[in-house]
Amino acid sequence: MAMHHLKAHSCDAAHPVTRIDPRVKLLCALALLVMVISCRGFAFPLLVSVLSLALCRSLGSPWRLLALRFSEPLFIAATVILLKMFFSGSDPLFSFGVAGYELSAYREGLREGVLIASRILGGVSLLAVVGFSTPFTELMAALSWLRVPQVLVDVALFAWRYLFLLLEEAQVVYNAQKNRLGYVGYRRSLSSFGTLAGVLVIKAFDNSQSITTAMVQRGYDGDMPVTLHRPLRLAEVASALLFLLAMIALRSSV
Amino acid sequence: MFRGALKKGGPGGCGVMTLLALSLPLLSATPAFAMHISEGILPFPWAAFWYLALAPFVALGARRLNSVSREDLSIKPLVGLLAAVVFIISCMPIPVPTAGTCSHPCGTGVAAILVGPLVSVLIAAVSLLIQALFLAHGGLSTLGANTFSMGVVGSLAGWLAFRGTRRLGGSLAVSGFVAGILADWATYATTALILSLGIRGEAPFAPLFVKVVLAFLPTQLPLGILEGVITAGMVTLLYRKRPDLLVKMRVITEKELPVHA
Repeated sequence: MAMHHLKAHSCDAAHPVTRIDPRVKLLCALALLVMVISCRGFAFPLLVSVLSLALCRSLGSPWRLLALRFSEPLFIAATVILLKMFFSGSDPLFSFGVAGYELSAYREGLREGVLIASRILGGVSLLAVVGFSTPFTELMAALSWLRVPQVLVDVALFAWRYLFLLLEEAQVVYNAQKNRLGYVGYRRSLSSFGTLAGVLVIKAFDNSQSITTAMVQRGYDGDMPVTLHRPLRLAEVASALLFLLAMIALRSSV
Repeated sequence: MFRGALKKGGPGGCGVMTLLALSLPLLSATPAFAMHISEGILPFPWAAFWYLALAPFVALGARRLNSVSREDLSIKPLVGLLAAVVFIISCMPIPVPTAGTCSHPCGTGVAAILVGPLVSVLIAAVSLLIQALFLAHGGLSTLGANTFSMGVVGSLAGWLAFRGTRRLGGSLAVSGFVAGILADWATYATTALILSLGIRGEAPFAPLFVKVVLAFLPTQLPLGILEGVITAGMVTLLYRKRPDLLVKMRVITEKELPVHA
Protein backbone atom coordinates (compact mmCIF):
# COMPACT_ATOMS: atom_id res chain seq x y z
CA MET A 1 0.00 0.00 0.00
CA ALA A 2 1.03 3.57 -0.68
CA MET A 3 1.22 4.41 3.01
CA HIS A 4 3.94 1.92 3.83
CA HIS A 5 6.52 4.66 3.69
CA LEU A 6 4.54 6.65 6.27
CA LYS A 7 5.98 4.32 8.87
CA ALA A 8 9.45 4.63 7.44
CA HIS A 9 9.32 8.38 8.02
CA SER A 10 11.48 9.52 10.92
CA CYS A 11 13.30 12.67 11.90
CA ASP A 12 17.05 12.98 12.40
CA ALA A 13 16.83 14.85 15.71
CA ALA A 14 20.42 16.05 15.57
CA HIS A 15 20.20 17.69 12.14
CA PRO A 16 20.26 21.52 12.21
CA VAL A 17 17.08 21.72 10.07
CA THR A 18 15.23 19.45 12.51
CA ARG A 19 16.24 21.71 15.40
CA ILE A 20 14.77 24.85 13.83
CA ASP A 21 11.56 26.01 15.53
CA PRO A 22 8.67 24.34 13.59
CA ARG A 23 6.83 27.67 13.38
CA VAL A 24 9.80 29.35 11.69
CA LYS A 25 10.30 26.31 9.45
CA LEU A 26 6.65 26.22 8.43
CA LEU A 27 6.50 29.95 7.71
CA CYS A 28 9.69 29.75 5.63
CA ALA A 29 8.35 26.75 3.73
CA LEU A 30 5.04 28.51 3.04
CA ALA A 31 6.82 31.67 1.85
CA LEU A 32 9.07 29.60 -0.42
CA LEU A 33 6.07 27.67 -1.71
CA VAL A 34 4.36 30.94 -2.69
CA MET A 35 7.57 32.03 -4.45
CA VAL A 36 7.72 28.71 -6.30
CA ILE A 37 4.11 28.60 -7.49
CA SER A 38 4.07 32.26 -8.50
CA CYS A 39 7.37 32.00 -10.38
CA ARG A 40 7.31 32.71 -14.12
CA GLY A 41 10.58 30.92 -14.87
CA PHE A 42 11.52 27.30 -14.29
CA ALA A 43 15.06 27.88 -12.97
CA PHE A 44 14.06 28.96 -9.45
CA PRO A 45 11.61 26.10 -8.75
CA LEU A 46 14.18 23.61 -10.06
CA LEU A 47 16.85 25.17 -7.86
CA VAL A 48 14.56 24.90 -4.84
CA SER A 49 13.91 21.30 -5.79
CA VAL A 50 17.62 20.44 -6.00
CA LEU A 51 18.38 22.20 -2.69
CA SER A 52 15.46 20.50 -0.97
CA LEU A 53 16.48 17.08 -2.27
CA ALA A 54 20.01 17.66 -1.01
CA LEU A 55 18.54 18.60 2.39
CA CYS A 56 16.39 15.45 2.40
CA ARG A 57 19.49 13.35 1.74
CA SER A 58 21.43 15.09 4.49
CA LEU A 59 18.46 14.42 6.81
CA GLY A 60 19.13 10.75 6.18
CA SER A 61 16.17 10.00 3.89
CA PRO A 62 17.01 6.86 1.90
CA TRP A 63 16.89 6.99 -1.90
CA ARG A 64 14.15 4.37 -1.96
CA LEU A 65 11.89 6.48 0.23
CA LEU A 66 12.58 9.56 -1.89
CA ALA A 67 11.88 7.59 -5.07
CA LEU A 68 8.56 6.37 -3.62
CA ARG A 69 7.56 9.86 -2.58
CA PHE A 70 8.53 11.45 -5.87
CA SER A 71 7.19 8.74 -8.19
CA GLU A 72 3.70 10.20 -8.42
CA PRO A 73 4.73 13.89 -8.78
CA LEU A 74 7.38 12.92 -11.35
CA PHE A 75 4.78 11.02 -13.36
CA ILE A 76 2.39 13.96 -13.22
CA ALA A 77 5.19 16.38 -14.21
CA ALA A 78 6.10 14.19 -17.21
CA THR A 79 2.42 13.95 -18.23
CA VAL A 80 1.98 17.73 -17.98
CA ILE A 81 5.07 18.32 -20.15
CA LEU A 82 3.84 15.89 -22.83
CA LEU A 83 0.31 17.29 -22.82
CA LYS A 84 1.41 20.90 -23.00
CA MET A 85 4.07 20.17 -25.62
CA PHE A 86 1.75 18.35 -28.02
CA PHE A 87 -1.53 20.18 -27.44
CA SER A 88 -0.59 23.76 -26.73
CA GLY A 89 1.09 26.43 -28.81
CA SER A 90 1.54 27.36 -32.46
CA ASP A 91 5.31 27.46 -33.09
CA PRO A 92 6.25 23.92 -34.22
CA LEU A 93 9.28 22.30 -32.59
CA PHE A 94 9.25 18.90 -34.29
CA SER A 95 6.70 16.47 -35.65
CA PHE A 96 6.39 12.76 -36.30
CA GLY A 97 3.89 10.33 -37.70
CA VAL A 98 1.66 8.15 -35.50
CA ALA A 99 -0.68 5.63 -37.16
CA GLY A 100 -0.79 7.66 -40.35
CA TYR A 101 -1.25 11.00 -38.60
CA GLU A 102 1.32 13.66 -37.99
CA LEU A 103 1.73 14.75 -34.39
CA SER A 104 3.46 18.09 -33.74
CA ALA A 105 5.20 19.39 -30.65
CA TYR A 106 5.13 23.13 -29.96
CA ARG A 107 7.76 25.36 -28.46
CA GLU A 108 5.40 27.42 -26.23
CA GLY A 109 3.72 24.25 -25.01
CA LEU A 110 7.05 22.73 -24.04
CA ARG A 111 7.99 25.93 -22.17
CA GLU A 112 4.66 26.01 -20.29
CA GLY A 113 4.90 22.30 -19.51
CA VAL A 114 8.42 22.56 -18.13
CA LEU A 115 7.36 25.57 -16.01
CA ILE A 116 4.42 23.69 -14.43
CA ALA A 117 6.57 20.56 -13.98
CA SER A 118 9.29 22.59 -12.26
CA ARG A 119 6.69 24.09 -9.90
CA ILE A 120 5.40 20.61 -9.08
CA LEU A 121 8.89 19.34 -8.29
CA GLY A 122 9.81 22.48 -6.32
CA GLY A 123 6.65 22.34 -4.21
CA VAL A 124 6.82 18.60 -3.55
CA SER A 125 10.51 18.78 -2.58
CA LEU A 126 9.81 21.61 -0.15
CA LEU A 127 7.05 19.62 1.52
CA ALA A 128 9.36 16.61 1.68
CA VAL A 129 11.89 18.63 3.71
CA VAL A 130 9.16 19.81 6.10
CA GLY A 131 7.77 16.27 6.39
CA PHE A 132 11.14 14.60 6.94
CA SER A 133 12.43 17.16 9.45
CA THR A 134 9.37 17.88 11.62
CA PRO A 135 7.35 15.52 13.81
CA PHE A 136 3.63 15.70 13.02
CA THR A 137 2.71 16.86 16.52
CA GLU A 138 5.11 19.81 16.25
CA LEU A 139 3.66 20.72 12.87
CA MET A 140 0.19 20.74 14.37
CA ALA A 141 1.38 22.91 17.25
CA ALA A 142 2.81 25.32 14.66
CA LEU A 143 -0.51 25.34 12.78
CA SER A 144 -2.30 26.05 16.04
CA TRP A 145 0.06 29.00 16.61
CA LEU A 146 -0.82 30.19 13.08
CA ARG A 147 -4.46 30.40 14.23
CA VAL A 148 -5.70 27.35 12.31
CA PRO A 149 -8.99 26.42 14.11
CA GLN A 150 -8.11 24.41 17.23
CA VAL A 151 -10.81 21.84 16.51
CA LEU A 152 -9.15 21.03 13.16
CA VAL A 153 -5.79 20.61 14.90
CA ASP A 154 -7.40 18.35 17.53
CA VAL A 155 -9.00 16.17 14.85
CA ALA A 156 -5.67 15.95 12.99
CA LEU A 157 -3.88 14.90 16.19
CA PHE A 158 -6.47 12.20 16.92
CA ALA A 159 -6.25 10.99 13.32
CA TRP A 160 -2.45 10.81 13.40
CA ARG A 161 -2.38 9.12 16.82
CA TYR A 162 -4.73 6.32 15.77
CA LEU A 163 -3.84 6.06 12.10
CA PHE A 164 -1.19 3.39 12.66
CA LEU A 165 -3.46 1.42 14.97
CA LEU A 166 -6.18 1.33 12.30
CA LEU A 167 -3.58 0.53 9.63
CA GLU A 168 -2.48 -2.51 11.59
CA GLU A 169 -6.08 -3.60 12.07
CA ALA A 170 -6.73 -3.11 8.35
CA GLN A 171 -3.68 -5.25 7.59
CA VAL A 172 -4.90 -8.04 9.91
CA VAL A 173 -8.39 -8.05 8.35
CA TYR A 174 -6.92 -7.87 4.83
CA ASN A 175 -4.60 -10.83 5.48
CA ALA A 176 -7.47 -12.86 6.96
CA GLN A 177 -9.64 -12.09 3.92
CA LYS A 178 -6.81 -12.89 1.54
CA ASN A 179 -6.10 -16.23 3.24
CA ARG A 180 -9.76 -17.12 2.77
CA LEU A 181 -9.61 -16.25 -0.95
CA GLY A 182 -11.46 -12.99 -0.33
CA TYR A 183 -9.67 -11.29 -3.19
CA VAL A 184 -10.14 -13.96 -5.84
CA GLY A 185 -12.39 -12.65 -8.57
CA TYR A 186 -13.59 -9.11 -9.09
CA ARG A 187 -16.98 -9.37 -7.41
CA ARG A 188 -15.58 -11.06 -4.32
CA SER A 189 -12.74 -8.53 -4.11
CA LEU A 190 -15.21 -5.67 -4.11
CA SER A 191 -17.32 -7.32 -1.44
CA SER A 192 -14.21 -7.96 0.69
CA PHE A 193 -13.06 -4.37 0.24
CA GLY A 194 -16.46 -3.07 1.34
CA THR A 195 -16.36 -5.33 4.40
CA LEU A 196 -12.83 -4.20 5.23
CA ALA A 197 -13.83 -0.54 5.01
CA GLY A 198 -16.96 -1.21 7.09
CA VAL A 199 -14.95 -3.05 9.75
CA LEU A 200 -12.59 -0.07 9.94
CA VAL A 201 -15.54 2.26 10.57
CA ILE A 202 -16.80 -0.06 13.34
CA LYS A 203 -13.28 -0.17 14.86
CA ALA A 204 -13.15 3.62 14.69
CA PHE A 205 -16.45 3.86 16.58
CA ASP A 206 -15.42 1.35 19.22
CA ASN A 207 -11.95 2.84 19.67
CA SER A 208 -13.39 6.35 19.99
CA GLN A 209 -15.55 5.15 22.89
CA SER A 210 -12.67 3.52 24.77
CA ILE A 211 -10.36 6.47 24.03
CA THR A 212 -12.96 8.90 25.38
CA THR A 213 -13.45 6.84 28.55
CA ALA A 214 -9.69 6.72 29.13
CA MET A 215 -9.34 10.45 28.45
CA VAL A 216 -12.28 11.45 30.66
CA GLN A 217 -10.64 9.51 33.51
CA ARG A 218 -7.59 11.73 32.97
CA GLY A 219 -9.63 14.93 33.06
CA TYR A 220 -10.65 15.39 29.39
CA ASP A 221 -13.55 17.84 29.14
CA GLY A 222 -13.79 18.21 25.37
CA ASP A 223 -10.82 20.50 24.87
CA MET A 224 -7.34 19.28 24.19
CA PRO A 225 -4.65 21.03 26.25
CA VAL A 226 -3.42 24.04 24.31
CA THR A 227 0.23 23.71 23.39
CA LEU A 228 2.36 26.27 25.17
CA HIS A 229 4.60 28.04 22.71
CA ARG A 230 7.92 29.38 23.84
CA PRO A 231 8.70 32.87 22.54
CA LEU A 232 10.36 32.87 19.14
CA ARG A 233 14.14 33.27 19.31
CA LEU A 234 15.34 36.49 17.72
CA ALA A 235 18.33 34.75 16.15
CA GLU A 236 16.07 32.17 14.46
CA VAL A 237 13.66 34.79 13.16
CA ALA A 238 16.51 36.97 11.88
CA SER A 239 18.17 33.98 10.18
CA ALA A 240 14.86 33.00 8.56
CA LEU A 241 14.32 36.54 7.29
CA LEU A 242 17.85 36.65 5.88
CA PHE A 243 17.32 33.28 4.23
CA LEU A 244 14.05 34.42 2.66
CA LEU A 245 15.62 37.69 1.46
CA ALA A 246 18.42 35.68 -0.14
CA MET A 247 15.85 33.43 -1.84
CA ILE A 248 13.90 36.46 -3.09
CA ALA A 249 17.13 37.89 -4.52
CA LEU A 250 17.96 34.53 -6.09
CA ARG A 251 14.46 34.27 -7.56
CA SER A 252 14.69 37.64 -9.24
CA SER A 253 18.19 36.96 -10.57
CA VAL A 254 17.60 33.55 -12.20
CA MET B 1 -3.82 25.68 -24.16
CA PHE B 2 -4.71 22.71 -26.40
CA ARG B 3 -5.44 25.15 -29.21
CA GLY B 4 -3.94 22.82 -31.77
CA ALA B 5 -6.21 20.04 -30.69
CA LEU B 6 -9.28 22.17 -31.24
CA LYS B 7 -8.57 23.28 -34.77
CA LYS B 8 -10.44 21.24 -37.33
CA GLY B 9 -7.69 19.44 -39.17
CA GLY B 10 -5.37 21.70 -37.16
CA PRO B 11 -1.60 21.58 -36.95
CA GLY B 12 -0.22 18.48 -38.42
CA GLY B 13 -3.49 17.71 -40.14
CA CYS B 14 -5.01 15.87 -37.13
CA GLY B 15 -8.77 16.12 -36.61
CA VAL B 16 -10.41 16.95 -33.33
CA MET B 17 -11.49 13.41 -32.61
CA THR B 18 -8.11 11.92 -33.40
CA LEU B 19 -6.31 14.32 -31.11
CA LEU B 20 -8.90 13.77 -28.42
CA ALA B 21 -8.51 10.04 -28.76
CA LEU B 22 -4.75 10.39 -28.57
CA SER B 23 -4.98 12.65 -25.55
CA LEU B 24 -7.26 10.34 -23.58
CA PRO B 25 -4.71 7.69 -22.65
CA LEU B 26 -2.25 10.41 -21.64
CA LEU B 27 -4.75 12.37 -19.61
CA SER B 28 -6.48 9.36 -18.15
CA ALA B 29 -3.23 8.26 -16.59
CA THR B 30 -3.26 11.37 -14.41
CA PRO B 31 -6.35 10.60 -12.35
CA ALA B 32 -5.30 6.98 -12.22
CA PHE B 33 -2.19 7.88 -10.30
CA ALA B 34 -3.36 11.00 -8.54
CA MET B 35 -6.86 11.56 -7.35
CA HIS B 36 -5.88 15.00 -6.03
CA ILE B 37 -4.43 18.00 -7.78
CA SER B 38 -0.69 17.84 -7.29
CA GLU B 39 1.43 20.42 -5.50
CA GLY B 40 2.50 23.28 -7.75
CA ILE B 41 -0.05 22.76 -10.54
CA LEU B 42 -2.31 25.65 -9.56
CA PRO B 43 -0.89 29.16 -9.92
CA PHE B 44 -0.84 31.24 -6.71
CA PRO B 45 -4.03 33.32 -7.35
CA TRP B 46 -6.12 30.17 -7.92
CA ALA B 47 -4.56 28.34 -4.97
CA ALA B 48 -5.44 31.32 -2.75
CA PHE B 49 -8.94 31.58 -4.24
CA TRP B 50 -9.80 27.98 -3.36
CA TYR B 51 -8.50 28.46 0.19
CA LEU B 52 -10.82 31.46 0.50
CA ALA B 53 -13.74 29.50 -0.97
CA LEU B 54 -13.10 26.70 1.53
CA ALA B 55 -12.75 28.92 4.62
CA PRO B 56 -16.49 29.41 5.40
CA PHE B 57 -17.14 25.67 5.16
CA VAL B 58 -14.25 24.91 7.53
CA ALA B 59 -15.57 27.57 9.93
CA LEU B 60 -19.09 26.06 9.78
CA GLY B 61 -17.70 22.54 10.21
CA ALA B 62 -15.61 23.63 13.21
CA ARG B 63 -18.61 25.35 14.78
CA ARG B 64 -20.80 22.30 14.23
CA LEU B 65 -18.20 19.91 15.65
CA ASN B 66 -17.58 22.14 18.67
CA SER B 67 -21.28 22.31 19.46
CA VAL B 68 -21.83 18.55 19.02
CA SER B 69 -18.76 17.62 21.04
CA ARG B 70 -20.03 19.71 23.95
CA GLU B 71 -22.96 17.27 24.19
CA ASP B 72 -20.97 14.10 23.48
CA LEU B 73 -17.29 13.99 24.41
CA SER B 74 -16.62 11.00 22.17
CA ILE B 75 -17.46 12.86 18.96
CA LYS B 76 -14.11 14.62 18.50
CA PRO B 77 -12.05 11.42 18.87
CA LEU B 78 -14.56 9.68 16.60
CA VAL B 79 -14.16 12.32 13.90
CA GLY B 80 -10.37 11.98 14.23
CA LEU B 81 -10.60 8.22 13.80
CA LEU B 82 -12.97 8.60 10.85
CA ALA B 83 -10.41 10.94 9.27
CA ALA B 84 -7.85 8.15 9.68
CA VAL B 85 -10.32 5.69 8.08
CA VAL B 86 -10.94 8.05 5.14
CA PHE B 87 -7.16 8.44 4.79
CA ILE B 88 -6.70 4.65 4.67
CA ILE B 89 -9.63 4.10 2.28
CA SER B 90 -8.42 6.80 -0.09
CA CYS B 91 -4.96 5.21 -0.18
CA MET B 92 -6.25 1.76 -1.12
CA PRO B 93 -5.83 0.95 -4.80
CA ILE B 94 -8.85 -0.38 -6.69
CA PRO B 95 -8.29 -1.91 -10.11
CA VAL B 96 -10.33 -0.12 -12.77
CA PRO B 97 -10.92 -2.66 -15.55
CA THR B 98 -11.94 -0.22 -18.29
CA ALA B 99 -8.77 1.84 -17.91
CA GLY B 100 -6.46 -1.05 -17.06
CA THR B 101 -5.08 0.87 -14.10
CA CYS B 102 -5.62 1.34 -10.37
CA SER B 103 -7.33 4.29 -8.77
CA HIS B 104 -8.65 4.93 -5.30
CA PRO B 105 -11.98 5.94 -3.79
CA CYS B 106 -12.66 9.27 -2.02
CA GLY B 107 -14.28 7.93 1.13
CA THR B 108 -15.98 11.22 1.94
CA GLY B 109 -19.39 9.92 0.86
CA VAL B 110 -19.57 7.52 3.77
CA ALA B 111 -18.11 10.13 6.16
CA ALA B 112 -20.83 12.58 5.13
CA ILE B 113 -23.53 9.94 5.64
CA LEU B 114 -22.25 9.25 9.16
CA VAL B 115 -21.32 12.69 10.52
CA GLY B 116 -22.98 15.11 8.10
CA PRO B 117 -21.50 17.23 5.31
CA LEU B 118 -20.06 20.03 7.46
CA VAL B 119 -18.00 17.85 9.80
CA SER B 120 -17.04 15.75 6.78
CA VAL B 121 -15.26 18.84 5.40
CA LEU B 122 -12.92 18.70 8.43
CA ILE B 123 -12.38 14.97 7.91
CA ALA B 124 -11.42 15.53 4.27
CA ALA B 125 -9.13 18.45 5.20
CA VAL B 126 -7.24 16.39 7.80
CA SER B 127 -6.98 13.34 5.56
CA LEU B 128 -5.69 15.43 2.65
CA LEU B 129 -3.25 17.31 4.89
CA ILE B 130 -1.63 14.07 6.06
CA GLN B 131 -1.51 12.77 2.49
CA ALA B 132 0.09 16.00 1.27
CA LEU B 133 2.71 16.13 4.03
CA PHE B 134 3.76 12.50 4.12
CA LEU B 135 2.76 10.85 0.83
CA ALA B 136 3.07 13.73 -1.68
CA HIS B 137 -0.53 13.08 -2.76
CA GLY B 138 -1.97 16.53 -3.38
CA GLY B 139 -0.09 19.38 -1.74
CA LEU B 140 -0.19 22.31 0.63
CA SER B 141 -0.79 24.92 -2.08
CA THR B 142 -3.57 22.76 -3.54
CA LEU B 143 -5.02 21.69 -0.17
CA GLY B 144 -7.75 24.34 -0.42
CA ALA B 145 -8.76 23.23 -3.90
CA ASN B 146 -8.61 19.51 -3.11
CA THR B 147 -10.55 19.91 0.13
CA PHE B 148 -13.14 22.01 -1.67
CA SER B 149 -13.73 19.33 -4.29
CA MET B 150 -13.52 16.27 -2.04
CA GLY B 151 -14.65 17.72 1.28
CA VAL B 152 -17.23 20.33 0.34
CA VAL B 153 -18.69 19.21 -2.99
CA GLY B 154 -18.11 15.46 -2.52
CA SER B 155 -19.55 15.44 1.00
CA LEU B 156 -22.54 17.62 0.11
CA ALA B 157 -23.33 15.54 -2.97
CA GLY B 158 -23.03 12.28 -1.02
CA TRP B 159 -25.10 13.52 1.90
CA LEU B 160 -27.84 15.06 -0.27
CA ALA B 161 -28.00 11.94 -2.44
CA PHE B 162 -28.26 9.67 0.61
CA ARG B 163 -30.93 11.76 2.34
CA GLY B 164 -32.83 12.32 -0.90
CA THR B 165 -32.89 8.64 -1.83
CA ARG B 166 -33.93 7.67 1.70
CA ARG B 167 -36.75 10.21 1.57
CA LEU B 168 -37.91 8.72 -1.72
CA GLY B 169 -38.14 5.35 0.01
CA GLY B 170 -34.79 3.89 -1.05
CA SER B 171 -33.25 1.20 1.12
CA LEU B 172 -29.97 1.79 2.98
CA ALA B 173 -28.04 -0.14 0.33
CA VAL B 174 -29.55 1.78 -2.59
CA SER B 175 -29.12 5.11 -0.82
CA GLY B 176 -25.51 4.27 0.05
CA PHE B 177 -24.87 3.23 -3.55
CA VAL B 178 -26.28 6.48 -4.96
CA ALA B 179 -24.39 8.53 -2.34
CA GLY B 180 -21.09 6.80 -3.13
CA ILE B 181 -21.49 7.31 -6.87
CA LEU B 182 -22.53 10.94 -6.68
CA ALA B 183 -19.91 11.85 -4.07
CA ASP B 184 -17.20 10.44 -6.33
CA TRP B 185 -18.48 11.93 -9.57
CA ALA B 186 -19.17 15.33 -8.01
CA THR B 187 -15.63 15.36 -6.59
CA TYR B 188 -14.10 14.68 -9.99
CA ALA B 189 -16.37 17.11 -11.82
CA THR B 190 -15.20 19.81 -9.39
CA THR B 191 -11.58 18.70 -9.73
CA ALA B 192 -11.94 19.00 -13.52
CA LEU B 193 -13.37 22.50 -13.07
CA ILE B 194 -10.58 23.57 -10.72
CA LEU B 195 -7.90 22.08 -12.94
CA SER B 196 -9.28 23.68 -16.11
CA LEU B 197 -9.55 27.09 -14.46
CA GLY B 198 -6.05 26.79 -13.03
CA ILE B 199 -4.07 25.62 -16.03
CA ARG B 200 -5.93 27.13 -18.97
CA GLY B 201 -3.69 30.20 -19.25
CA GLU B 202 -5.03 32.34 -22.12
CA ALA B 203 -7.07 29.54 -23.68
CA PRO B 204 -10.90 29.45 -23.52
CA PHE B 205 -12.29 27.59 -20.51
CA ALA B 206 -15.11 25.46 -21.92
CA PRO B 207 -13.18 23.28 -24.42
CA LEU B 208 -10.47 22.53 -21.88
CA PHE B 209 -13.05 21.70 -19.21
CA VAL B 210 -14.78 19.27 -21.58
CA LYS B 211 -11.42 17.65 -22.36
CA VAL B 212 -10.46 17.24 -18.71
CA VAL B 213 -13.90 15.77 -17.95
CA LEU B 214 -13.53 13.39 -20.90
CA ALA B 215 -10.09 12.46 -19.66
CA PHE B 216 -11.44 11.62 -16.20
CA LEU B 217 -14.21 9.42 -17.66
CA PRO B 218 -12.29 6.18 -18.34
CA THR B 219 -11.25 5.83 -14.71
CA GLN B 220 -13.80 7.85 -12.76
CA LEU B 221 -16.98 6.58 -14.39
CA PRO B 222 -16.36 2.97 -13.33
CA LEU B 223 -14.60 4.04 -10.13
CA GLY B 224 -17.70 6.03 -9.09
CA ILE B 225 -19.81 2.90 -9.53
CA LEU B 226 -17.26 0.87 -7.55
CA GLU B 227 -17.29 3.50 -4.80
CA GLY B 228 -21.08 3.27 -4.80
CA VAL B 229 -20.88 -0.51 -4.35
CA ILE B 230 -18.31 -0.14 -1.55
CA THR B 231 -20.33 2.58 0.22
CA ALA B 232 -23.47 0.43 -0.01
CA GLY B 233 -21.48 -2.51 1.38
CA MET B 234 -20.20 -0.42 4.28
CA VAL B 235 -23.61 0.97 5.20
CA THR B 236 -25.31 -2.44 5.04
CA LEU B 237 -22.49 -4.01 7.06
CA LEU B 238 -22.98 -1.34 9.73
CA TYR B 239 -26.72 -2.01 9.66
CA ARG B 240 -26.24 -5.75 10.08
CA LYS B 241 -23.45 -5.68 12.66
CA ARG B 242 -23.83 -2.41 14.55
CA PRO B 243 -27.18 -0.74 13.86
CA ASP B 244 -26.85 1.11 17.17
CA LEU B 245 -24.07 3.19 15.60
CA LEU B 246 -26.33 4.23 12.75
CA VAL B 247 -28.99 5.26 15.26
CA LYS B 248 -26.42 7.20 17.27
CA MET B 249 -25.29 9.05 14.15
CA ARG B 250 -28.95 9.66 13.20
CA VAL B 251 -28.62 7.78 9.93
CA ILE B 252 -31.63 5.65 10.84
CA THR B 253 -34.28 5.98 13.53
CA GLU B 254 -34.88 3.45 16.31
CA LYS B 255 -38.01 2.30 14.47
CA GLU B 256 -35.84 1.14 11.59
CA LEU B 257 -33.65 -1.09 13.75
CA PRO B 258 -33.54 -4.71 12.58
CA VAL B 259 -35.82 -7.04 14.55
CA HIS B 260 -32.96 -9.05 16.08
CA ALA B 261 -31.10 -5.92 17.27
